[in-house]
Amino acid sequence: MSGHPNHTAADAPRTGGSTRGFDLASLVEYTKTLECIHCGLCLTSCPTYQLTGVESSSPRGRIHLMRSVAEGDLEPDAEYADEMDFCLLCRHCETACPAGVEFGALMEHARSGLTEQMPRPPLARALRWIGFRFVLPRRRVLDLAGAALRAVQITGVERIGRWLLARAGSVVPTSPRVPKGRARRRLEPSTPADGAARGAVDVLEGCVMPVLFGRVNRATGRSLAGLGYESRPLAGVTCCGSLHAHNGDLDGARTLARRMLAAARATERDGSDPLPLVVNSAGCSAHLKELHHLFDPDDPDRAAAEELAARVYDFTEFAAPRLRRRPPERSIEGAWKGPFAYDDPCHLCHAQQIRTPPRDVLAALPGLELVPLENSEGCCGSAGIYSVLRPADSAAVLEPKLDALERSGARTLVTANPGCHLQWQAGIERRGLDVRVVHVAELVARAYDGRTTE
Amino acid sequence: MAAPSAIDETLLRALEAVVGARGIVSGHARLSTYAADGLPLFSQAPDLVVLPRDTDETARVMALLHTAGVPIAARGSGTGLTGGATPAAGGVVVSTARMRSILELAPADRRARVQAGVVNADLTTAAAAHGLFYAPDPSSQQACTIGGNVANNSGGPHCFRHGNTTRHLLGVVVVLADGEVLDLVRDSNDPVGLDLVGNFCGSEGTFGIVTEVVVKLVPVPERVETLLALFTDLDAACGAVSDLIAQRLEPSAIEVLDRLTIEAVEASVYAAGYPVDAGAVVLCDVEGTDEEVEAIATDLVRIAERNGAFEVRRAADAAERKRLWAGRKGAFGAMGRVAPDLYVADAVVPRTKLRELVRLATEICRELDLKLANVFHAGDGNLHPNISYDRRDPDEVRRVLLAGTRILEACVAAGGSITGEHGVGLEKRDHMCALFGEDDLDAMRDVRRAWDPSGRLNPDKLLPIRRCSEIHADAVTTERVVPSA
Ligand SMILES: Cc1cc2nc3c(=O)[nH]c(=O)nc-3n(C[C@H](O)[C@H](O)[C@H](O)COP(=O)(O)OP(=O)(O)OC[C@H]3O[C@@H](n4cnc5c(N)ncnc54)[C@H](O)[C@@H]3O)c2cc1C
Ligand code: SF4
Ligand code: SF4
Repeated sequence: MSGHPNHTAADAPRTGGSTRGFDLASLVEYTKTLECIHCGLCLTSCPTYQLTGVESSSPRGRIHLMRSVAEGDLEPDAEYADEMDFCLLCRHCETACPAGVEFGALMEHARSGLTEQMPRPPLARALRWIGFRFVLPRRRVLDLAGAALRAVQITGVERIGRWLLARAGSVVPTSPRVPKGRARRRLEPSTPADGAARGAVDVLEGCVMPVLFGRVNRATGRSLAGLGYESRPLAGVTCCGSLHAHNGDLDGARTLARRMLAAARATERDGSDPLPLVVNSAGCSAHLKELHHLFDPDDPDRAAAEELAARVYDFTEFAAPRLRRRPPERSIEGAWKGPFAYDDPCHLCHAQQIRTPPRDVLAALPGLELVPLENSEGCCGSAGIYSVLRPADSAAVLEPKLDALERSGARTLVTANPGCHLQWQAGIERRGLDVRVVHVAELVARAYDGRTTE
Repeated sequence: MAAPSAIDETLLRALEAVVGARGIVSGHARLSTYAADGLPLFSQAPDLVVLPRDTDETARVMALLHTAGVPIAARGSGTGLTGGATPAAGGVVVSTARMRSILELAPADRRARVQAGVVNADLTTAAAAHGLFYAPDPSSQQACTIGGNVANNSGGPHCFRHGNTTRHLLGVVVVLADGEVLDLVRDSNDPVGLDLVGNFCGSEGTFGIVTEVVVKLVPVPERVETLLALFTDLDAACGAVSDLIAQRLEPSAIEVLDRLTIEAVEASVYAAGYPVDAGAVVLCDVEGTDEEVEAIATDLVRIAERNGAFEVRRAADAAERKRLWAGRKGAFGAMGRVAPDLYVADAVVPRTKLRELVRLATEICRELDLKLANVFHAGDGNLHPNISYDRRDPDEVRRVLLAGTRILEACVAAGGSITGEHGVGLEKRDHMCALFGEDDLDAMRDVRRAWDPSGRLNPDKLLPIRRCSEIHADAVTTERVVPSA
């Protein structure tokens, strides 16, 4: 994972071609582009427009490019592909757009069309295949990769590699710190409720979550226990496929979606209502709520996906109303330094319109002082694997957010998404700030059982 | 019709030396995104886009472009609705999108100095920390720039009380076509000599590029109340507004939204709780001291009711007020749900004649089989008939432009004007003949030449490029869609 220079083979410009010979329908979802009336109200919401001031790097500009390609006025050339790749898919533009343009769906389609019809160079293709098709869907391989990365990190090999690459002029993304083996242990098949049980839920363990954030998964279980719920990790699935969908591999996403649906079906017990599926990664909860977009209307899995969507809760969404019924009593003081600031993950606020529940959760925790964070709905630049593909852009997007963090005076930054978690940690470390990053669930768990995260 | 490109490698390199690699946009695909502003009916890609970061860089860029003799179109955020930022003659777009610094905020003096590319809403947000705000509030304020506002003398809902941009300008720094910097920042409200700032405001990018603007800030009023009067039809709502004006009531904003607009807004992310069963609503802000607000609100309710309002609501709190206004401001964009394109006409009528002209516009659109929605700054008599269409349908485009022309002509005949706030740009250039004689236009051309003798700044815009007699002789046809260079 470490050591991709800014312009890796993975985002090298693709070779162009003439519009003839392209399947335009698979390149762009044309009818969705027509929703845009070119008003420009979305410009200032867009992190890449904020960064550059360039119209083609704005939502309106990107939609114009897509529409031009679909209408045959523009060849899907390297410039086009680069503007599509530059987008963070944060969907802030959807929050700004009065016309209701479904930008996220448009961009996923456009990227997938590019992957199919303008193949990237062989090395990039191979790397993508290994990442998306080989590593992410396989728990064993993920575990091994985690162990290997940790070995590289603790032996110092990584530092030497990064130093060499930096000397060669590359911008090197920071690789996420892999915790020691014990912290990477998997969830128990069941975590019982504390006290009288109010019910049971399924939880999604995730692909990279157990490797990098096993403690957050366990905190989620402890929080649910405190809330009165028994939790069981959903068996038979690893990755939900959101990274695939965002990065031009809709086929891969579809395969994983079908696997997810099968796993969900397997948990359905005769007669009883299906259990809620609680997800502690905003990117994954957003993706699972929109899984049906991947299937044609006549595909039976579309209906199944819609049913699954009704079961999916983001952790904050599930916890907020239930915390009120069973308020935690232990102060979280001492474990983290206050004041706290909450940064809205894009896939919570823009993709799921979830803004109040996380704040309600925090307000219910004894001893927590929340201070406002300017532009908390702005993208932090993590954007899934974006921080690996385009480290320089990713870091630049975070810069103004780091300024805002400093102005807020917060000593602990709260998030609800693993990508944002890593991105903030890396930025805070770069600036040498004395601020810790924490997932909401870690705070809730502590307020219930008084234990610090491990 | 792009001019033969005078941009060679040497010029490109010289420009890049001034603004850096990130300050240059070239390449066919990227340039195509600069082909239009908020009115995509007019479309012409530039040969190059340059994004200077301050006055000095702008001056050096302009000097280089002067030597090369290329046409220039200034661009802020490209939210204009008349093709003003469209480089109709090809050439270079000079964009202020990287000039986004608030240079000075002086709360004690109630003024601010900003770079031209500062977004209108960002200035108000920054001023809010000091109990102040920037009064001109175009519905596009979350995106449009102060420079664009100056160029178009933009207005907004609250300009009913506070006045358009020109009323809030203390000075501008301008770069002329040859790169000369003109500092027109004055210390007092009453300029000695000719009012050049006033002259510049509304020049639509034909006089020079604004790089810095000094504006007045206004104290946030002690109290603001938002009232929403519901009517069964648009006609009655217009009648109520005329009555409000006749009774000399002074709310700070008077807006009208009709049913189609309400439906679109309520289906969008800006849904605000507008009643979808009303035929039209009048949205008003009332501001001042407690007594003032109560007095005006009471009168307002009375007048609305006697004109047929079946209900008058008051926003419960600041959050609801904010929602109602966000809904109003998202209204144009929300129309994107109705059809792929929206033509926003902008005309002014005497406020005693609101009713008859809105009726007439409805009639014209019905005759031409066009879908019309109305949302407008009623207090200022500033109509915005919004016509939904699809630019891929040439006949519909022809009918839309025809409707636009007929509506404008009717407004002029009624004693009104062809633009309330969006400017003339490309779209209404030829309509200037409906309002002015050739002598007036020649006088304006002289003023323009005094600022820009080279005629390279936004050529083809604002003033007709042919004699009015020729324009009158032409029937209104789709030819006007493509501006003749
Ligand atoms: C949804 C929507 C709602 C709107 N509501 C309103 C409204 O309520 N009231 C209103 O008045 N307008 C409104 N408008 C129109 C538009 O937003 C305004 O005209 C605005 O001032 C344009 O600003 P801009 O930065 O987008 O300028 P642009 O569109 O980029 O440019 C507008 C004109 O100004 C010139 N220009 C831009 N910057 C400079 C500069 N630095 N120096 C010299 N010339 C320059 C351009 O050449 C062009 O002629 C609305 C538009 C939309 C899309
Ligand atoms: S998804 Fe985010 S980065 Fe992409 S265009 Fe929209 S606002 Fe910009
Ligand atoms: S806000 Fe929506 S309709 Fe307006 S330009 Fe952006 S995407 Fe298009």
